[in-house]
This record gives sequence, C-alpha cells and structure tokens, in this order.
Amino acid sequence: MNKTVTINISGIIFHIEEDAYEKLSKYLAAIKSLFNKADGGNEIMSDIESRIAEMLQGKTSAVKQVVLMSDVDYVIDNMGKPEEFVSEVMDSGDTSAEAGSAGEEPVKRRLFRDGDSKVIGGVCSGIGHYFGFDPVWLRIALLLMFFFAGTGLLLYIILWIAIPEAKTTADKLMMKGEKADINNISKAVKEEAEQLKKRMEKYGKDFRDLADRGAPRNAAEKTVDFIADLLTNIGRVLFKILGVLMVIFGLIFFLGLFSSIFGVSFMTSNVEGSEWIDMVLLDGRDFYIGLIGIALFAGTPIVMMIYGGVKILFKVRYSNRWVNLSAGILWLIGFVMLIYVGTRTSQDFNKVAKLRESIAVAPNDTLVLKMNELSVDYGELEVSDEKQEGERNYYRGHRTGYMIGKHDNTKYLLGNASLNVIKSQNGATDLVIVKEARGNGKEMARLRAKHIVYNVAQQNNEIIFDDLFRVNSVDKFRKQDVTAILRIPVGTVIYLDKSLESLIYDIENVTNTYDGDMVGRRWKMTEAGLVCVDCEGLVSVQDYLDGNTNEHDEDVNINVNGVNINAKDASIKVDSNGVNINSKESKVVIDKHGVHVNTKQGN
Amino acid sequence: MVNSENTKAQMRKGVLELCILSILSQGDAYPTEIIEKLKETKLVVVEGTLYPLLTRLKNTGLLTYRWEESTSGPPRKYYMLTEIGVTYLRELQLSWAELVDAVNKTIQPKN
Repeated sequence: MNKTVTINISGIIFHIEEDAYEKLSKYLAAIKSLFNKADGGNEIMSDIESRIAEMLQGKTSAVKQVVLMSDVDYVIDNMGKPEEFVSEVMDSGDTSAEAGSAGEEPVKRRLFRDGDSKVIGGVCSGIGHYFGFDPVWLRIALLLMFFFAGTGLLLYIILWIAIPEAKTTADKLMMKGEKADINNISKAVKEEAEQLKKRMEKYGKDFRDLADRGAPRNAAEKTVDFIADLLTNIGRVLFKILGVLMVIFGLIFFLGLFSSIFGVSFMTSNVEGSEWIDMVLLDGRDFYIGLIGIALFAGTPIVMMIYGGVKILFKVRYSNRWVNLSAGILWLIGFVMLIYVGTRTSQDFNKVAKLRESIAVAPNDTLVLKMNELSVDYGELEVSDEKQEGERNYYRGHRTGYMIGKHDNTKYLLGNASLNVIKSQNGATDLVIVKEARGNGKEMARLRAKHIVYNVAQQNNEIIFDDLFRVNSVDKFRKQDVTAILRIPVGTVIYLDKSLESLIYDIENVTNTYDGDMVGRRWKMTEAGLVCVDCEGLVSVQDYLDGNTNEHDEDVNINVNGVNINAKDASIKVDSNGVNINSKESKVVIDKHGVHVNTKQGN
Repeated sequence: MVNSENTKAQMRKGVLELCILSILSQGDAYPTEIIEKLKETKLVVVEGTLYPLLTRLKNTGLLTYRWEESTSGPPRKYYMLTEIGVTYLRELQLSWAELVDAVNKTIQPKN
C-alpha cells in the first residue's frame, strides 16, 4: 500500500504516489527556475506542464489510476533533463536580440553554494565556480581573515546564509553556467553601464527617426519608455555600487566594533574599549551583558548590511525571512541588555560625596608650587579629551578627561587633579584636598572618594603636587575628582612653577590673569586676593603690594577641627585623623595606622 | 578533448528552426506532432527543447497559434505560420540550399 497525493497539472487531476510526486515537483521546479528569467517563461512553463499532463494521461486509465514513479521517469526521459534544455535557452539570446523582445537574456551564471564539493557549507566552492578559480585560495584567504577578529568566520556565515545551495539540476547548471557573462563584479557594473549607453544610443536614433517621420503620439510613448528605461538602468548601476559599498563599509565597521570591544588592535587603532567598559560597569556580570549588548546592538545592523550587500552583488534572489526576523530579535535583545546595564550603571552615579582632607603646610614667606608628573605607563591606553601640545589653547589649559594606565604594574583609572589657591580665613597655611566620587548611595560614594589616591609632597618651602590622582580599578569610574585648595594667609608669596600649567584651574587673582599667564611668576596674597609680584608687561596692581607685608610666621589655631600650630620651622596639627608634625627635617604622623617618621633629606 | 556529440548538437540546433517552420508550412500542428516528426529524423532528442523555441518564434512574430480542445488531455496549442513566417521560411530555405551546395562542394571536392 502506498500513499498517494492528488495534484492538478494544467487543470487535470492526477493521483500520484508520494515519492513520484516528490520527483516530479522537483523536476518542475528545476525547469521553472531555468525559464524564470527568459521572456515568456511562464508560457513555456505552462506549455511544458500541459504536455506533461497529456503524457501522464496516456499513462493512466480506468484500471491504472495512479501515476507511478516509472511514469514520472518516462515523462522526464521524453521531456529531457533540465541540462538538456539549457543549451537551447542559453543560445536563444543571440537570435532574440534582433527581434527586439527585451529581457530574453541568456541564462547568467548565478551564485550558489556547491554542496557536492563542500568542505563546510560549500560557500567557497560556489564562489569559486562563480568567478572561475580554485576555491582553495578562497579557503586560505578566509582562514587568514579568521585571525583578523574572526572576520573570515563572520563573512563565511553571512555568505552561507545569503547564498542558496544549488539543489536542483538547474541550479547546478546555473552555478557553473557555461556561458557566464559575469566574470567579476567590476565587469558586471561595467556591463550595466555599457548597456545603458547602448540603449541611449538606440533611443537617440529612434528619436531622430521619429522626428523625421513626425509621429507625435508614438514619440511621447517612446519618451516615457526611454525615461523609464534610463532610470532603471541608472538605478541598476547605482544599486551595484551600493552593494559594493555596503560590503566594504560593513567589514570596516565590523573590524572597528570588534577591535574597540575586544581590545584587539588593528592598524593604528589602540583604543581599548573593553577597558573602559570594564571601568564603568558594575561587575563582571554587567561587563559581559554590556559587551554582548553592544555586540548585538551595533553588530546586528553591520552584519545585515554586509548580508544585504552580498545579496545585491551576487543577485541572490532567494530570501530568508528567518534571517530578517532573527536579526531583529537579536538587535532587540542587545537593546534590552544595554538598557538594563545602562540603568544599573547610571544608578551607581546617583549620589555624590565630597571628602575634605586638610594637610598642614609649613608656612613660609615664599611657597614654591610645583607639579610632579606621575610616572604612569598610559602611552597606548590613553583616552582623553586632551588636545595635543601645540593645539592646546591656554584658555582651556586645564586638562580634563580620564585615562586608564598602569602605575607599579597595577591598573588604575587616572584623572587630572586641579589646584586652586585662596586666601586663608584664619591666617593658617594649609592644604585642603577635596575628593569627590559618586555611588549608588552616599556611603558608597564616600567610600569611593576615600579610596582616591592623591599625593602632595612638601620639601622645605616647596610643595609638589602630583598631576594625576589614581583610582583603583575596583572602585570603577564614578566621576572621581580631586581638587587641591591651598589656603595661604595674607602676605604669603607663592611662586607658581611653569610645570603647574595643566594643574591650576581658574585661580582667582586681582588682575584676572588667565591660568596660563600665572605660571612662572610670583604671586602675593593680599586682602583682596592674589597680586602678581613680577608681572612685567602684564597688568599689574602694584598698589596692593604696598603696606601689606604682614608676616604670619608663627600662628596657633585651636578650633573645632583640632589644634593647628604653625611655627617657623615646623607645623603641628592635631585633629580627628591624628597628629601630624611637619618640620624642615622630618615629618611625623601618628594616626590609626601607627606612627610614621619620615626624614625629608632622603626624599 | 574532441567531442563530436557537441558539434552534432550544434549543427542540429542550427537547422531546427528551419525544420520547425518547414513542418508548419505543411499544415498547422501542435507541439506533440511537431516533436514526433522531428524525432523520426532524430533532429530532436528531448521534447523540452522545443517549447522555448516555439515560444520564441511566436514572440518574434513568425508563428501564431490557436487553441483546440483535445479529447485526451488539456487543450492544445496549434501553431501556424504567419505571413512574416512564410517569407522568413522562404529566405531560410534559399540560404539553406546555398549552404548545402557550398558545404557539399567543400567536403567532396571534385578531382
């Protein structure tokens, strides 16, 4: 007992065995795809179908009602295999050209995957057939490209999806298409352009002929035809170019995305995007969700762009709605992941905390302020808004932006500290380090602020500020900031070393001199603010200097913060942090960590 | 590799058009009849090749057809020559005769 299927060929009903049906429908599909492009393809197809119906009818009778496999074989034998038709269809192009029936083009070689000589999916062998070269070279090339961020793999998968497999005989014939008129893409583009030119010439001739004969109605029709034809031809050429661009740019974008996410360097790009993602996102889980999110959100459109380009270039008509659907879903998943990670991360920026830490400074008539450039290896990792030396305009001399760098082989987030100098309200000389950070809650923010490392060294009358503060990578990037505020009493003179240019930020002074002009000069604190001592050529306010020479060499200060004693040779500070004694020769600190004695000669 | 089959096929194809037109000049026919005649002369091996050719000749204006009901199967397309087809056939026959003459002279040179 065999199962039968009921089919309708040219309006006649047949009962056909299931396996015979499979064979027949495959056969018809093969012929159909063969004549698809030819002019009158549908007519040919229906002629053939009605002939097949006739043949099958001859094979069935009241006694034998079912079409068997042998009957289908008989039909195929008589009608011929698709490859036997092909020669006819292909050669028909030559004669039809003069007949003027446009569109009856020879069967062009089309791109298919070759399942018969495949290694993985038959992509390479298919392309090899198309362009007529040994697929081995393509395989090697793709394998090499695999080591470039896996581009080879991506391209392979895209091609695998975009190119249909040659299943029917007709497909296989078109894949190897004896008379291929496309040997490469540039030729195809050229061909389209050539065709355009020919048509234009033809139309130009038609016009002249028509003008001679004077047939207005016909001329109008021809004009419309001409314009429509011109537009489609221009469109075709542009479409091809678009396809090429889509593939090229898709691959460039993909490499860019890949290298920025996964930190693989190509050519000149050394931006380690993943380092930054790691620095911003909360934890390892968020990091991976974020990475995958970015890859899907940005990667899916890029992949689809290449996919579309490939389809345009190779005139792949076969479309797979699953591809578009799953691309949309993947993109959406990426989007949701980014929103999730983004929300979580932005919550961790919610609260700001500022921590103020006061450091006693040995008072001196003249304080020399310098900058110490932290030895950080951030050369290749640097990511900041900072402009290059020459192009930096001094108005925006202060550096903003953060870097990721290594110090003593540990990874840190590095930020630029800023320095301000103001008048001391209580006559004491001290330094306030304001550390700022953000967190999910106040506590977290405070903890992060506390973890910021920023060093200021004192040596005789020199105060040396580090240019950068460091944040351990565990603490993440949470808009940490450090401002050092030096409070000096009226009468104190400070010398701003040239090295400070990038550190000082908008130091107020009587003469409203810009930061860039303040360095390399002496400034004296007066009741009104800082006044320049040796600013020749700049607007100077000498008046402030006269009569304001009170010296505050010795000074004892006791308030809620603790005891602050500033003597000539030493300063003693007792507060909640402990005891801090600073003298010219040594520094003694007693705090919760114990007793530290520092002899300054060694430093 | 020398393949005489290929050359024979090319030759057959070249005269197929002439043969079809000639068959139709003897009376209207539907594809199966045309094929049977061609098969006798071994000019056509498989039927499939005929349909695209007929469609093309029809589109070129050499042929036209009419539908006729069939007692055994779907309606049949009966092809016939158009006026242009008749003229075209005459030209073809003329040049065919010339060609045969020329070829014969070439391949069987008189001593």
